Amino acid sequence: MKKKVALLIAAVIASASLSGCGGGGTATTADTTAGSTAAETTKAAAGDESGKLKLTMSWWGNQVRNEKTQAALDLYTEQNPGTVIEGQFSEWSDYWNKLATSAAGQAIPDIVQMDYSFIDQYVKNGLLVDLTPYIKDGTLDASNISDNTMASGTVNGGVYAVCAGINAPSLLYNKTLLDKNGIVVKDYMTTDEFIDLCREVYKKTGYKTNIAYYNAGAFLDYFMRGNDVVLYGDKKMGGEEKDYLPFFQMYETGIKEGWFIDPGVFAELSIGSVEQEPLVYGSSPETMSWCAFYNSNQLTAMQKAAPEGMEIGITTWPSADPKKSGYLKSSQFFSVGAHSKNPEEAVKVINFLTNSTDANNILLGERGVPASSKIASELAPKMSDVEQKVIHYVNEVVTPNCSPINPPQPDGASEVSNLLNQVQEQVCYSVYDAETAAKEFYNGANEIMSKK
Amino acid sequence: MKDTFGAGLRHFLNKESTAGVVFSLPFIVGFLLFMVVPMGISFYYSLCDYNILSPPVFTGLNNYIKMFTNDNVFYKTIGVTFYFAFVSVPLRLIFALMVALLLLKSSKATGFYRAFYYLPSIIGGSVAVSILWKRMFATDGVVNLLLGILGIHTNYAWLGNTKTAIWTLIILAIWQFGSSMLIFLSSLKQIPVSLYEASRVDGANKFSQFFKITLPLLTPTIFFNLVMQMINGFLAFTQCFIITQGKPLNSTLFYTVYMYQQSFEFYNTGYGAALAWVMLLLISVITVILFATKRFWVYTEGV
Repeated sequence: MKKKVALLIAAVIASASLSGCGGGGTATTADTTAGSTAAETTKAAAGDESGKLKLTMSWWGNQVRNEKTQAALDLYTEQNPGTVIEGQFSEWSDYWNKLATSAAGQAIPDIVQMDYSFIDQYVKNGLLVDLTPYIKDGTLDASNISDNTMASGTVNGGVYAVCAGINAPSLLYNKTLLDKNGIVVKDYMTTDEFIDLCREVYKKTGYKTNIAYYNAGAFLDYFMRGNDVVLYGDKKMGGEEKDYLPFFQMYETGIKEGWFIDPGVFAELSIGSVEQEPLVYGSSPETMSWCAFYNSNQLTAMQKAAPEGMEIGITTWPSADPKKSGYLKSSQFFSVGAHSKNPEEAVKVINFLTNSTDANNILLGERGVPASSKIASELAPKMSDVEQKVIHYVNEVVTPNCSPINPPQPDGASEVSNLLNQVQEQVCYSVYDAETAAKEFYNGANEIMSKK
Repeated sequence: MKDTFGAGLRHFLNKESTAGVVFSLPFIVGFLLFMVVPMGISFYYSLCDYNILSPPVFTGLNNYIKMFTNDNVFYKTIGVTFYFAFVSVPLRLIFALMVALLLLKSSKATGFYRAFYYLPSIIGGSVAVSILWKRMFATDGVVNLLLGILGIHTNYAWLGNTKTAIWTLIILAIWQFGSSMLIFLSSLKQIPVSLYEASRVDGANKFSQFFKITLPLLTPTIFFNLVMQMINGFLAFTQCFIITQGKPLNSTLFYTVYMYQQSFEFYNTGYGAALAWVMLLLISVITVILFATKRFWVYTEGV
């Protein structure tokens, strides 16, 4: 009997230690990641043997951005031999895990690429440096950046982030296909006009439509602006349940009429990856979409990913009133991490990336239209046709008819976006009808927000 | 005084237990530092509202209460994970046993085959294979192509359908049968040949030899494999994380991936830690149950 008890205990311990690998994993990963970054930063602060000052800069992005940014940083080192900058890049989703864990380990990188949806959270937790004094003493030259743009990086009166490039929500579409079939796309389509267009494209070409499938957070925000509803309120969702109905009805209609792309297609792709977007990726009209919901600075990457002979067009997202919905946003920001030992040096690098002609000749507006109007106009002639098209879209189409962007997303927004994607999925698999979807989403999202 | 100290030290160093402790120190330190301490921290976090960025706030059992009373996804993932573990593990063991029986006959190529069949176990949990798997089961992937060659022309979306998506993961799990196979192989070799000879004299055919001799004598090995693989099955992560991300409609959302989502995507790290502890408890209970059934079906020599 004793032996059996011992065996039992052994079994429990074995399973505990084995599953401990996975179970305790949350804490382990966090600690080790933070630890390693901490080590790097200490090294950075101390400087290496040759007495050089070492900074770290982290960003998310694609291959093009990684190469260009690294080249710009190398140029900085060349011009400032005393400083070495180590670039750390990751994919969007990994980036935020990494940044959060390094923040927990008191080792946030010196220069951080920041997003509008996270800025509030990071400032509230004291993880970013207020740049106001550096602007006042001239270390950071903000004279060529418009007040509106500066405002988007301002939280509670302090400037915590500098715009790295301006973009606007944009519908990218297969212009070649549509031209060939005599289908005309106009800017500022309303939702109804857009749906009619989807029907027409499907009827004439067989190509289906992808409306921000499983990636609809930003589009819902835009869509609701067209109905004068601000998506996130204080610990609750904006508007009422019925305000969300038209959004889900659009999907329901598309599925019923057959012009919405089969959601099964997305199980095989990485959603949000430009290269695998059904606009440019796929083998038949059945599994492809004539349009994609993106931001203007991604046109370059999308055109690059498109098969030869496919020209990508750019226009506004649809909503009940797209002129009301439209906004300009900072595609991303540069911030200084609160744990930086050399914030002033970090600010100098940000100033270099923002205001140096040489740096921007390398970066070429990959992050969006440069925030500095001086740089933007200097750069314009050097840009390729596609990049010119982006600038034209931002300056001529969106700018005349746009309003300020909604306040930064509050804590809980990423969970609400996930809920939105799941509810949208249920509609696309015909499990929910639009009414149920609106109800599930509105109630679920309110519950998430109420606890934050 | 100095002499007695030196003698004492020598005596201490020469003791057998000292050597034992010194040699096991690397493990003990590693175990404490990378296992016990993080587990302790994770247990504390599980009692907190913690979002990584701000310091944890103690909230008692709130996370656990929410999990059991107000989280449908939690129950859904438990269902999916149990389904995955209880289907894939027995199938994997059956498959491993079959291959082991085939490889039992020694020939010149046996060594090669053993290594060859073990390969999937090494690489099967990797990200690369998961991506490959995703491509294989795509509408224009190899699987549909092969079906086309067999005359079944289809562009069925294996990963896009709630009924089949989980099976792509199960098949991947079955394919990683190598380690169980090796263990089976070594214990198959230990079954005395005399038993087979005696039974042949008594007129037993291959079939009854297998069920009357091989299988009963293998039960301890089956038991060992079952326990180990079951635990691994509950902890499966990579396949789901890379191949399906839980889609479609959460029909493939593994518990561990949900835990990851809560901890690192929604920044509900306290809740994620609580999920981890419930998982530990569940696995322990299942392991205890498996041990409790042991005396009904596992053959122990000399009893």
